Amino acid sequence: MSNDNYTPKYSSDDPDRIEEALPDAPPHDTEIPVDTNDSGAAAVEVPETVADDEAYGRGEGVGEGQDVKGLSQGQIVWSRFVRHRGAMFGLITIAAVFVFSAISMGIGPIDGLWRVQTISSGDVINGGRPSLSIPGIGGATEFAIGANPFGQDSLGRDYFAQVMTGVQTSLLVAVVLGAVAITLGVTVGSLAGFYRGKVDMALMRFTDLVITLPVIVLGAVLGALVSKIPLRLNAGPELTQSIRENMPVILAVALGCILWTGLARLVRSEFLTLREREFVDSARVAGASDWRIITKHMLPNAVGVIVVNGTLLMSAAVTLEAALSFVGFGITEPTISLGRLISENQGAFSTRPWLFWWPGVFIILIALSINFIGDGLRDAFDPRTKKIPSARAMAKAEKQLAASRAAQSQEVAP
Amino acid sequence: MARFIARRLGLALGTLFILSFLMYGLLEFALDPLQDLRENPAPNRAELIANRVRLLNLDVPWYQRYFLWLGHFVQGDFGIAWRTMQPVSQLIRGAIATSVQLVLAATIISILLGVTIGLVSALRQYTTFDYVITFVSFLLYSLPIFWVAVLLKQFLAIGANDYLQNPTINWPLVVTLSLISALFWTGALGGRRDKKIKVFLGALIVTFAVLVLTLATGWVENPTIGVVGVGVLSIAFAFGVTAIFAGLNNKRALYSALTTALLGTIIWWPLQWLWAYWEMSWPWMFGLLAVSLAVAALIGLLFGGPDRQISIRGAMIVALFTGVLIFADRVLQTWVPYNNAPQIRGRPLATIGAATPGLSADFWMRQLDMATHLMLPTLALVMISFATYVRYQRGAMLEVLNQDYIRTARSKGLSERVVIVRHALRNALMPLASIVPVDFITLIGGAVITETIFGWAGMGRMFLTSLGGQEVDPVMFYIMLTGGLAMIANLVADFLYAVIDPRIRVNA
Amino acid sequence: MSQPQQHPEKARSVFTDAIKLSRDTGGPVAKGDTILKVQDLTVRFWVGQEWFTAVENMSYELKAGEVLAIVGESGSGKTQSSMSLLGLLPPTGRATGSADLKGTELVGMSIQELREVRGNEISVIFQEPMTALNPVYTVGFQIVETLRTHYLMNPAAAKARAIELMRMVEIPEPEDSFNKFPHQLSGGQRQRIMIAQALACEPKLLIADEPTTALDVTVQAEILKLMRELRERVSAGIILITHDMGVVADMADRIIVMKDGKVVEHGSSHDIFKNPRHPYTQQLLASVPHLAEHVDDDDLADRPNTVIETEGNPVPLSAARTNTEPALLMEDVAIVYPKQGRRPEFRAAEHINLRVDQGEVVGLVGESGSGKTTLGRAAVALLPVREGKLTVGGFDITNKSVKELKPFRKTVGIVFQDPGSSLNPRLPVGESIGEPLFLHEGLKGAALSKKVEDLLDSVHLPRAMRNRYPHELSGGQRQRIGIARALALNPKLLIADEPTSALDVSVQARVLKLFKELQEQYGFACLFISHDLAVVEQVSSRIAVMHRGHLVEVGDTLDIVTRPQHPYTQRLLSAVPVPDPDEQRKRRELRDAIIEREHLVS
Repeated sequence: MSNDNYTPKYSSDDPDRIEEALPDAPPHDTEIPVDTNDSGAAAVEVPETVADDEAYGRGEGVGEGQDVKGLSQGQIVWSRFVRHRGAMFGLITIAAVFVFSAISMGIGPIDGLWRVQTISSGDVINGGRPSLSIPGIGGATEFAIGANPFGQDSLGRDYFAQVMTGVQTSLLVAVVLGAVAITLGVTVGSLAGFYRGKVDMALMRFTDLVITLPVIVLGAVLGALVSKIPLRLNAGPELTQSIRENMPVILAVALGCILWTGLARLVRSEFLTLREREFVDSARVAGASDWRIITKHMLPNAVGVIVVNGTLLMSAAVTLEAALSFVGFGITEPTISLGRLISENQGAFSTRPWLFWWPGVFIILIALSINFIGDGLRDAFDPRTKKIPSARAMAKAEKQLAASRAAQSQEVAP
Repeated sequence: MARFIARRLGLALGTLFILSFLMYGLLEFALDPLQDLRENPAPNRAELIANRVRLLNLDVPWYQRYFLWLGHFVQGDFGIAWRTMQPVSQLIRGAIATSVQLVLAATIISILLGVTIGLVSALRQYTTFDYVITFVSFLLYSLPIFWVAVLLKQFLAIGANDYLQNPTINWPLVVTLSLISALFWTGALGGRRDKKIKVFLGALIVTFAVLVLTLATGWVENPTIGVVGVGVLSIAFAFGVTAIFAGLNNKRALYSALTTALLGTIIWWPLQWLWAYWEMSWPWMFGLLAVSLAVAALIGLLFGGPDRQISIRGAMIVALFTGVLIFADRVLQTWVPYNNAPQIRGRPLATIGAATPGLSADFWMRQLDMATHLMLPTLALVMISFATYVRYQRGAMLEVLNQDYIRTARSKGLSERVVIVRHALRNALMPLASIVPVDFITLIGGAVITETIFGWAGMGRMFLTSLGGQEVDPVMFYIMLTGGLAMIANLVADFLYAVIDPRIRVNA
Repeated sequence: MSQPQQHPEKARSVFTDAIKLSRDTGGPVAKGDTILKVQDLTVRFWVGQEWFTAVENMSYELKAGEVLAIVGESGSGKTQSSMSLLGLLPPTGRATGSADLKGTELVGMSIQELREVRGNEISVIFQEPMTALNPVYTVGFQIVETLRTHYLMNPAAAKARAIELMRMVEIPEPEDSFNKFPHQLSGGQRQRIMIAQALACEPKLLIADEPTTALDVTVQAEILKLMRELRERVSAGIILITHDMGVVADMADRIIVMKDGKVVEHGSSHDIFKNPRHPYTQQLLASVPHLAEHVDDDDLADRPNTVIETEGNPVPLSAARTNTEPALLMEDVAIVYPKQGRRPEFRAAEHINLRVDQGEVVGLVGESGSGKTTLGRAAVALLPVREGKLTVGGFDITNKSVKELKPFRKTVGIVFQDPGSSLNPRLPVGESIGEPLFLHEGLKGAALSKKVEDLLDSVHLPRAMRNRYPHELSGGQRQRIGIARALALNPKLLIADEPTSALDVSVQARVLKLFKELQEQYGFACLFISHDLAVVEQVSSRIAVMHRGHLVEVGDTLDIVTRPQHPYTQRLLSAVPVPDPDEQRKRRELRDAIIEREHLVS
């Protein structure tokens, strides 16, 4: 067995098993024979066609490089992202939802344009039925918004204003939670992956601990904890009031403390792979400090994993917040959240179904859009998923080839 | 191996210990057992508080109380839910079984469905089918489960029950379903244009015919399988299993599968007699299943030939299927009396609870009752984790299909079926071992919500009620149980991993 | 060794009794029959929005018993041209033209028919034995699977045949190995399994796609020997796809040279090597480093000036030739990878005594796992030294803290093997080059730019390239950047860790030339690590040979390549195929003799 390729690599304990079991494509790098005088000025021109059909022995990636000339990695990722239809759909939808809610209900202290800015009970008009009518739906003939486009609840409160406020809460929770979870996850993951050994062991055991309980269970406990903050602080009424009003942020921070685990594991395994890359050693030989290696060399290369999973975290945050509010351990009075709206009105499904539909639709819209953005980012960051034509494009291409060959043979024939 | 398991077990127990300690500390801050008394205007408030403090040992620092609690817990005393003064052990009786039933059923179904769909989606990468599956899985990802559960309750259950009370065929629905099925099969089977057209028409006609027949003949109101149904379905299944796992060329495998199917069908008659005269129970059922599997193995062995294993495996899978069919047939025979029972009154799809209270039922009808109750919550749970499995299986399969050994397998002249089933699928299933435990934990979490919505007296609901009621002991029990289940799931996954992946085995 | 011939008759009868399930095209073949006729074979890939031609109008014929080598650098289309015969192109690839296997047209064949050809009439040996076998099945099963796909055979007979095949490819204890998983075998054994599997159904055509590229040179020698022997025994035609002209010289009867998808030259092995006509072929052959090429017997001193390891005695430190401080001095150095979890610690290098004088280039040669890279990394303090003493330019770096090492960092540079991995993909290359300058000399702005531009000049790259990102550069360009970066601080000692082994030969030749130029210009000392003796010979004045964590022989380059003293060095040297058929024939005999001797000893 003398000739076995023994490359002693630091092996990690268990979380890496999948990576070990499923090796990546071999890290071939190939020379591109463009110009035999590749030295000197002749080499200014970056190859027109990078024909690395040996790269994975499959001919994929042939002709890459044409459209990446002079672009940084970030620009390439962006251009791929823009071409991803699902991602663009998600981006536009979520931007539209945000702008819509901001215009109608304002942001923070700034008032919006909708007539109801403070939600209060009133007369129930037309059984609280939505006044929104769109031609073709429900037999309506003309487009109208009316006084209560999304209807009213049993107390006569305008439901449009409530839903739009709830949307803002959801987005706020998603962003804050995402930020907290990403910060924690990246810190834990990069420290564990970079220092390995005992640090890694301790951090990963802690991560395992957090993962053991379902998110919703831990979340409920934390939700209950958050609601007891005024009591534990012995806060006076004013402080209690302000804590109540900032409930979404506090809750999001608390929930961020449980959702970071998945990201930490991914960042860790990404760092473990990056550590084996030679540019890290290269920087070390050049005298770079640990801090510089982590921040300047490794983190930028892990940004794909972080961004993609950060987005997915945010979409999970939206549904998690709604679910917690639904079971009563999330956002409570006086803040409005989409989950709370559903929870309060679930009994009214048979009498006032719109109270149930609208918040649900917006939750799905937000979560779905974020998911699609995440998917687009994943494809954009993953070099392996590029440029494989769809089945339809391939069929078209084949026709084109057949046609050109037919034309050629006709030219030859006469 | 023993050392490996012992190490893991030790690690799990340690984790559980630290988890319980931390959670106890968290709960100390999150729960306020004196909440109701703080605003109590009663004159003897101080006394009440003192009583409560004494009852719950609140004057002891929480970490000391933790060890007191741990001492009792280890001895099997799980504490009390102080509001009702019920011991936790009494509270959980039945609740554990209910929850585990729900979560297990959902896990198994979503693995089977998710893996299959993910696999097909990967094989049809970048086709419309693939895009649609991707979209659907994203949609399911984004659905809030509580919202879906309410919808299922309102539409599916109530709608189906309404239909059963007044059965008229809903033609647009039938046509839509047939079209969806036709499109699904066309996309899943793929191929060239002429094949696609054939598949589309075939699936359309078959689905339409089946739907119309079941509806028009009133099968839906009185569903039975009968010996004919058992026979036909078993034989079709025998062909299917052989085609996938052995190839129809393998006559021995085909014959042993068919013989098993036939024998299973014949056994239907004696079984009806047996079941008519003896009261059945689950041990009986598993006993019968074991016997039939043994017989199937024998059939496979006798047809055997050089490739015994393939024949035996095929025969056993068929036996399992036929057994389940006969079981289902017997359960469905209780449909009419069940449906007419005074507690049901023709609305069989239940939306509340895990069993119909006060129903006088034998073994078979109890199973039917359980099934009607399990259906909706399970469906709701499946919808969340199905998407996860589809995404993972698709990704793993694509990864594996890009490996060199797949190209080697093709270069050896193996048929596409063998390349996919034997070489790709086996490798692509390995990462699943580490995803199942994670998903299992998620499903336990999901069960908290489904149990609440469908009014199941399960563990999840107990957790929420106790958390809201500021009762620490039941909450801690739930946490220990969930943590324990998660540990077991992880252990099983590790073990499975070591079994499927030869590279791990030697290192373990 | 005598086992393979033990019961050939019996084994054959088991096999020939089996009923063939797959069809047999054109009946049995005898040596000299034309089995494959390829005409105007064109392979295209759909890339972006157009068809990219990977192979253009390729035509050739192949006779049974003949070895046709298809040679070319990466991207020349040599692999795809052969994969198209089997319909194994990636989904975006399409082949046109004609490939006639004994009267059967392969191009455009339906997938069902192709399946009967694959593994049966044509079989393939792939490059990566590590990944080309399915990790979850035993190697025996994988051979049996091939047999039973094409023959109606019961498992016992198939197993007997598989063991027979495994014995034929000289797998030790085939009965035991039958039940082993791929990861339990060494790289060379895995490749033997691949060969056994490929030969299972007695194919008419064998395609060997870089069969030895992933293997160490001594293992490569054994595989080549095996393939030559098999070639005599089976009547298949062989297509050998490789970039290694040494392997070609060893095996090929005829050669096709490809470049950018086109056949540039086609002829007999002798003609191509002795009388290449196409400029590309000439240039390709000129680029190949040729072991012991410029050696005259007169150059040799009377007595080889080498020191070798003997039983229990490590190679001693060679005497100082000058009075100056040595650039690198290792005294009884041991480097140990610490215990990781349940993985025991691993002593990667032990008892190393090595001196590199100032301005001197010392080659460090060894096979994978020999510990040569470990030594290189230790020399730049990337790995700690467990025992002994390691000094660089008089500075003892043993057991120094990160802070204490900072001044030392200025005096060393390292060039890595994989140019794709040694540059941070997220930084423009100019910034990568400038990093050491920024860190040590605090250069910024215009001063830094100026210095970076100077460095780019010195590695003959245009200045404008500093704003490019690594992925925009070719491998050769990236490696030049790597060198520029290592030289940024004008180090006393440079560690070059396999700087050219990821490059194609023509690029390698240019990078080596540049390296020699720069070495003269800057005068740095260098430890040049490589697995390729021919490359090391070109650049270094002395060579150290490493084997299993020990230095086994250290001496002047000339002595090492002409008069190796240690048995391992002899084996290593004899295993290197030279790009000259006649010379290689002579070397081959020596090599085979050494391999036989080794087997007798073991």
